[in-house]
Parts: sequence; C-alpha cells; structure tokens
Amino acid sequence: MRSIKALTGNQAVAYGVKLCRVEVIPNYPITPQTIIIEQLADFINDGDLDADFIPADSEHSAMSIAIGASATGVRTFTATASHGLALMHEMLYVPPQVRLPIVLANVNRSLGAGSGIWVEYNDSMAERDSGWMQVYVEDNQEVLDMLLQCYRIAEDPRAVLPIMICLDGFILSHTVERVEIPGQEEVDNFLPKFKPLNFLDPKNPKSMNIAVSPAHSMEMRYQLDRLMENSRQVIKDVDKEFAKAFGRSYGGLIDTYRMKDAEIGLITIGTATSTGRVAVDELRAEGKKVGLIKLRFMRPFPHDELREATKGLKALGVFDRSISANRYGPVFTEVRNSLYGGGMPIIDHIAGIGGRDLTVAALREMFAVLEKRASGHKTKDCYWHGLRGQM
Amino acid sequence: MYEIRFHGRGGQGAVMAAQTIAEAAILEGKQAQAFPYFGAERRGAPVMAFARIDDERICIKTQVYEPDMLVIMDESLLDIEPVAAGLKKEGCAVINSRSAPGDLDLGLEVRCISVDATSVAIEMLKAPIVNTAILGAMVKANDFVRLESVQQAIINRFGEKLGEKAGRINAEAAKIAFDRSQEGVCRGKRPLIKKRLWLPTWQETPPGVALGKEERVGMKVGPGSMSQNLTGTWGTSNPLYDQDKCIRCQRCWFICPEGCIIRKEDDLMEFDLRYCKGCGMCVKVCPKGAITILKKGVKQ
Repeated sequence: MRSIKALTGNQAVAYGVKLCRVEVIPNYPITPQTIIIEQLADFINDGDLDADFIPADSEHSAMSIAIGASATGVRTFTATASHGLALMHEMLYVPPQVRLPIVLANVNRSLGAGSGIWVEYNDSMAERDSGWMQVYVEDNQEVLDMLLQCYRIAEDPRAVLPIMICLDGFILSHTVERVEIPGQEEVDNFLPKFKPLNFLDPKNPKSMNIAVSPAHSMEMRYQLDRLMENSRQVIKDVDKEFAKAFGRSYGGLIDTYRMKDAEIGLITIGTATSTGRVAVDELRAEGKKVGLIKLRFMRPFPHDELREATKGLKALGVFDRSISANRYGPVFTEVRNSLYGGGMPIIDHIAGIGGRDLTVAALREMFAVLEKRASGHKTKDCYWHGLRGQM
Repeated sequence: MYEIRFHGRGGQGAVMAAQTIAEAAILEGKQAQAFPYFGAERRGAPVMAFARIDDERICIKTQVYEPDMLVIMDESLLDIEPVAAGLKKEGCAVINSRSAPGDLDLGLEVRCISVDATSVAIEMLKAPIVNTAILGAMVKANDFVRLESVQQAIINRFGEKLGEKAGRINAEAAKIAFDRSQEGVCRGKRPLIKKRLWLPTWQETPPGVALGKEERVGMKVGPGSMSQNLTGTWGTSNPLYDQDKCIRCQRCWFICPEGCIIRKEDDLMEFDLRYCKGCGMCVKVCPKGAITILKKGVKQ
C-alpha cells in the first residue's frame, strides 16, 4: 500500500534501499550522508529489513566489501560523500569492469581544502571516468524513485554496470519534503529478485578481477565503453516501465521544462533545476521565451538527446556547481563537446560553489547574460555568479 | 506559498519544529518543505530553520529571506541577531516570551503572538525544550494548518523517537501554548542588529583563507569567528571569582575548556566572560571555593 511521508533526502534513500530488499550494506559514516546509514541500521534493528550491515574501517574498505558482496551475487548498497568517495576512488574502478551492479548514494559535498561540508559536485564529477553510471536528482521524491530505478538499470542484462545516485548535500539530504512511498508488493513486481549474470559460485569456480595483460585489457575497456552505450536505452526503458508502475516519469537521460518554443535554454543539474523552474516561470510571465534542460545523467552522457533538445536555440547556458580549475566547469566541457560544430553560442555559468545559496536572482542573472548574447551582443563564455570581486 | 523562518538556540528544537509543521501540512494533503540552516549546530548557539507550505509543488530550494512568519524561540536572540530582517510587513511574529506583544520590541511593527513557551515546556516536559509549545502558538497566529494536524505530527515525529507517552505529552504542550497565546502588535523601535561580516573579494582572500594569529582580521573569518561569535551568550550562568580566597594554584586556568581564564603577571586570574559558557569546571576544581557559579539575570 502506498503511503505519504515527510522525509529528508537521506531518509528517502534509506526507504528506497529497504523497498529494493538490499541484502548487504557495507558502510562508513560521513557528513552529510551518515543519516542514510543510521536509518538503515534502524530498519535492520526493527526487523523491517533483512540485510547484512557491515561497518567498515574506511570508505576504501566499504567499497571493497561491496565488491566482494556483489561478486557473490547479492544486491548491494553503500553510501558516501566527498572525501569518502575520494577514498573509494581506487576501488571504484573495479565494479564496472567486473560488471557488478552496485548502487552507491553519493551525497554531494565539496572536497578540501577548505573542508566544507556543503554541496559542490567536485566529489562525483571527479569519478566521471570510473565507468559508473551517474544520475543527479532534484527532489526527494526523485531520490526515492531513482533508487528503485537504479537497481533495475544496473542489473539489466544489457548493461550490468554500477550506478551512483548523486543528491545535493543538505539541500536534499537534510530537507524534509513530501514523499510518496510505493507499496512493497508493487516494488517487488517492478524489481524482481536479483538474478546475477556474473558471480562467484562454489559449484562453478572461477577467478574474478585477475591481473589483465596488455593482450586483453583493451578489449575489456572497449567492452565497458559499449556497455555504457547500451545503458542509454536501458535508462529510457526503465523510466517508461517505472511510469507504468507508479505514474511518475523523469524523462530518462534528460528532462525539459518549457522548452517547446524557447529561444534561450539553460542546462541545469541537481537542485538547481528546481529553483531554475521558478526563475523560468518568472521570466515566462514577463514574456521571455526561456526554458530549462534538466541534465539527469552525467554517465552515460546524453550527447544525442542534448543535440535534439537544443535545436534552434539562440543561446544556451550551462550551470556548473564545480570547477575544473581550467576555465570551464565539467558539465560545460561535456555539453560543448556534444554540441560541437552546431555554431550555437554556449556559455558556462558557475554558481553555488561550496554550498553558497543558489538564488532565483542568480539564475535570472544567467538568463540575462544569455539574452544579451542571443540578441547579438558580445559576452564572455564563462561567468561566476555570486562571486565577490571583478571577474 | 507560506514561508516561515525559525530562530532558536541549539537544543531548543528549532529544526524539529520546522519539520513538524511541514509534516502537519503534509498530513493535510498540502506540499511542504523544512530544513535547517546548513552548518554545524552547537547547544546554546543561535540557529535557524526554515519551512515552506503550499498547495502546489514547491520548487524553490533557497533559504527563506522574506518570511511570512517569524518564529523566535528565545527572546535574548533579539539582542545578538538581526532576527526580524526581511519579515514581510503583512506577516507575523511568534515569540517565546513572558511579555505581552505590545510590550515587545522586535524592530518591526507587525502582528505578534507571544507565549511563555518556556514555562509550558518546563511544566509539561520538565525541560526548557520549547519547540512543541511554540508550534501551538504558531497555529494560533495563522490557521494555515489545524491544531489537530500539528498534534498528530508531534505524536508521529516525537513518538517515533521518544516513545508514545512523550509524543502525547508534547502534543498536549502545543495545545496548552495555543490556549495561552496572546495576540497583539509588537513595537518596531529597536534598530536591527548589523553583523560586521568579513566578506573579502577574491583578490583580497588570503591563500587557503589562512591567516596568521597576529592578523586581527583572522578573528573575523568563518562560522567560528571570535569577533562575531560571543560564545558567552550561549550559556545560562557565569562564574564569580573571589580574588581574596585565591591561592594561585592555576587549576582553573588549566582546566577551562574555552581559554576564558587569563593568568595575570601576579598569577591571579582574570575571567573573560564574553566567551564563558558557564560550564562550571573552574568551580569544581577550585580547592578553596574561590569561584562560585551564578545564574545569569538573577540578583544575588
């Protein structure tokens, strides 16, 4: 039976994990993620979830345990943030190549120096090349819904790759919102028991994650590249299946908002999309033809979908919540790569760094720059919004 | 959309109050959002929390800058924080105070509901945790949610954490505060506190925002800045030092966790009460009873 609850983003993750009947949860605490693990510990203690809860001695160990667990063919979950994800870095490269469909919730938080606890994407953006799928979400309903979708996507025989669900630290993790929790039975129908493709079985012994020589590693890598390519269709199909089962749909790799007759578009990611909707509504009410493109997946990156969605725009903005210390933010670099040769002006908008409040005014400022560019005026191709001091 | 900003002190339950009002709205089928001011929270330190309620989906994910309702859980915050900043003129303030609204000065002349939530909390919960009582006063101020929904949300939220009985008692505290709330208009004479924040441009920002101890500006940096953060305002008591009884053993100087006890040239002590939280450790270690602890605001 469905129920409505007031949940934080962290709790929404935990409820999702419970509904997915996850069997092994290796874990290590870190702000702002810890509440996920605490809530899961409560579920297990209260007998609401039958899972092995394994406190590790570091995030590196937590991911190592997750790899071991998943390799035996059980549904595995872990959560981390920031420095925790950085400490996992070495082990993150194993599950994609060995094809272990682990789900990891990363609560986005900036990396030091500065040791901030607030949201920035420089933790997960640095793992773009690890072979994990990455999805970014904008509210707590999407957190829960995507958790359910994540296992379906990750375990689909067409791909079988691990997936990272990224949610904004504090803005989602510590914010209570209305969340509809699906019934266990309908989740069981949507997400049947995990049938592993590649796992360790004493009756059929094999070696996993062995040393691979130059004679074989290239083929192994290309395989990963193809699997990531296959996952595009999987993501779209699972979203459609989800809509059928639960009545909510997120559009797959990207979603759009008021883009139909838009002349100016802004690509947003994470909770910037939510506040961005408010800015777009305000500007639309003023008669401006603006719209949003919600970037949901960084991996696989929606090259074709973005080309389609940005057709005919006079100017396109890209929101970045992390930097690359190389003029542009990572989302911008990827977007411009996808749209190369189209001739459309594309401008990077860096804001909300280190958790600075991303206001409607800042988002309106981004559209103002784009409007200027669309009407033929000169602009720079990268702006920092909310920065003190001349750029 | 209805926006609420809570001002309280760590330990009073401002975040829980925000979450509970949001849950009450959700129970009524509305949309709601509640979140703390994102940062480290410490007992006694000024804290903020926010809530939004609407019939439609709430998209905005920023802090609340222009609230419709201001909830002040500790009157003393008016002296140290720009509490009323941004409150809409047609909005209202809910304050934990023994005074009637007309006797209160929030720095903005607005509709005001006052309730002695501390007394209600001590009567009902035997502790000055005022969040459930203040929720009752909030419903008195505006019927955006029903009292029954707030009570149900309290039972859900507090019951889950503290047991069913605690849930019921807290729900009762809300009802009592609702009944005792006084309505009126507060005065607006007080100038809003102006915080002197150190906000350098990127060119002025030192490498790694690291500052040497000789740089006065270092006191102004970050959430723990000394010049802004007079942690002595967090406590409810202060030590009183009797120099004549002091044998200069230095034990209090050694034990003070805040470094508020200053050793003078002659080995007698000086107390910097601006940063004293009144923990009383100096009182405990003094072998001669030269230090006593005093409740603030109580004449001895």
